[in-house]
Amino acid sequence: MKNPQRSPTNPGSLRSRFTQVFLQSLLRIRKHNPTSSSSSSHGEFLKRCRRVKVAAYVSMARAVGTRRAWSRATLWRARNGERQRNLLYGRCSKSNSRERSLGKRKRKKKKKKKRDNEEHSFGHAKKLQKLVPGGEAMDFCCLLDETAHYIKCLITQVKVMRSIADFYSL
Amino acid sequence: MEGSSTPLTQNSSTFGIGIHPNDQLPNCFLVTGWEDSLDQGDPFESALSSIVSSPVAPHAGEGEAGMIRELIGRLGSICDSGQASPGSYNHSTTNTPCYSTPLNSPPKLSLSMADQLAHGGFPAPGSHFPGHPSFVSVMADPGFAERAARLSCFGPRNVNAANLNGGLGLNASEFLGKQANKLDSGRFCRVPSSQSLRANVGSQICAQGNERSFLQPGVSTSTPENGEMGESREGSSISEQVTHGEMRANGQIDVNSRKRKPILKAKGRNSAVSPQSAKDSEVPMENEEPITKKIKPAETDGNEKDAAKGDQKQSKENSKMAEPQKDYIHVRARRGQATDSHSLAERVRREKISLRMKALQDLVPNCNKVTGKAMMLDEIINYVQSLQRQVELLSMKLSTLNPTVDFNLEAFLSKDILHPQGPLPNSLYPVDSSGSMLYSYQPPQGLMPMPSVVSSNMDAQFPVNFLNSGIHRDASLNLPLCVDNYGEASAPAPALWEDDLQSVVQMGLGQIEPQRVEQGSLATSQMKVEL
Repeated sequence: MKNPQRSPTNPGSLRSRFTQVFLQSLLRIRKHNPTSSSSSSHGEFLKRCRRVKVAAYVSMARAVGTRRAWSRATLWRARNGERQRNLLYGRCSKSNSRERSLGKRKRKKKKKKKRDNEEHSFGHAKKLQKLVPGGEAMDFCCLLDETAHYIKCLITQVKVMRSIADFYSL
Repeated sequence: MEGSSTPLTQNSSTFGIGIHPNDQLPNCFLVTGWEDSLDQGDPFESALSSIVSSPVAPHAGEGEAGMIRELIGRLGSICDSGQASPGSYNHSTTNTPCYSTPLNSPPKLSLSMADQLAHGGFPAPGSHFPGHPSFVSVMADPGFAERAARLSCFGPRNVNAANLNGGLGLNASEFLGKQANKLDSGRFCRVPSSQSLRANVGSQICAQGNERSFLQPGVSTSTPENGEMGESREGSSISEQVTHGEMRANGQIDVNSRKRKPILKAKGRNSAVSPQSAKDSEVPMENEEPITKKIKPAETDGNEKDAAKGDQKQSKENSKMAEPQKDYIHVRARRGQATDSHSLAERVRREKISLRMKALQDLVPNCNKVTGKAMMLDEIINYVQSLQRQVELLSMKLSTLNPTVDFNLEAFLSKDILHPQGPLPNSLYPVDSSGSMLYSYQPPQGLMPMPSVVSSNMDAQFPVNFLNSGIHRDASLNLPLCVDNYGEASAPAPALWEDDLQSVVQMGLGQIEPQRVEQGSLATSQMKVEL
């Protein structure tokens, strides 16, 4: 295959980078959201799970860097999500307007790309576009490319998370 | 160097060339068989030897392209710097103008060569000599060997990038990688001369691989490569070949010119002049007839596959010439196909997509039997969804880890990364894809975080013998929520799920009663729905 997986012992490999970033973010989550098993409520637990999940995706996107569209989209979404939350709470008005305009531009771009997409398996492509972050703004060919890389990174992510969970729960 | 001494007719000669890790100008490499130059112990030779002998390092596709581009850039810089292999030239030939001048003006020659090479396809036997000085100067870069070594292993893939940037490195890598393989003897004859200009070495190597008449028709001395070598050594025929090659190259530049556009498939389209030879260099392993030009290394794989697919087309390939415009990818319509620019572009796009689909097919397990874009897309979507679900489950699991556990990075990295599988016991149950669902939620240390959710769903939905050996079969039927669509591929369970199952079983048996596991998995499914 063209893109062979890098060796796991390679210190600069995607896997090790992701592991480092993810563990750091887990530590951060634990520090900021200390929970004790006795007092965890359902809602808190869900929030925490969501934070860990987002941290996992963001860590992977950071490990990949910005050379992939999906990682850029993930990072942008993470940053944007924060700003949107601030929007809701009426904080940073300047950033609100900026983000709004940015969002509009992005939406326009996505719409345009959607129209350009004339792939015959359009329905599937749409579904895939929703799954892959940043997929809406791509033509079919790039979408397939990004999907391949995304799947590769997801596999790495799952492996690392599983090994972390196994390591620390044993 | 033994490489030079070995008969060029042998395919392995190119490898033989590589066997000399000397740090000297690799002149000899270009003039394989020109023993005089070889005695110099050229760094080029050593570089090439290292190329051949060094193992192929796996690189990502973009890595290759980047490597190639970098290499080409370095070669170009070398050319610009006007390096020249000092001694070898003098030894090698006497009356060849190209050789006489190299020391004086290698940059010019190399630049012209590089220019031609940029346009060329494969090295043609006859015209390889003029490229020699440029090659030597270019190849003098010690780093070249390394890269060429890496590139060589990739064979046809390198063609695109090299073509894109001037092909010097490509040629070396090309023939290094390929010559032992398939080059059919007759194929290379057809290589346009402009291509031949590109690689002395390549041509020589190819000549070796192809045995005889690798030379272009019309080249006076181009019969056995041994003869070539001899001539080159003496330098008598070089000038002739140079002129021949140059003329031919010029004549064929439009044919072979390729654009820098990073698109691809020149494969089926190109090579009106030398379809077969082009194909040769492309796909040694597939015994296909590769196409001359590859615009991009990434496309080479697709080209190879295209070659495999369109073999019959390629064999008949002829030439409807597409309008050669300087700022477009040169695409040739295949025989019997429409030459409309729209349909050509459409075909390019379709081949791109099929390339990518094949790459995805390799990534997604259990899709070998699936054919057709729609089915493949379904599989891909299912797989991505299942992976995302697994991430969710794992994040849930991680969020409930014992708070006192310290995320010791060093310990974890040293242990885990080096031993990714971990010391898991043998699974008590047959592992199949439904194991993923067993892994759905496993509260460590007996913690049950979702009593409320669970209690509301505490129906005996799951068989009591949930953890029994027959679980997997039953569970897959009874837990539709948890089972991925992807989990239907039961027989070849993905390896990761196997780990899942083992770890789950290990923890579950130790700490949690079957009921709780059921609740846990059900809770997980509920949570999944909620989340």
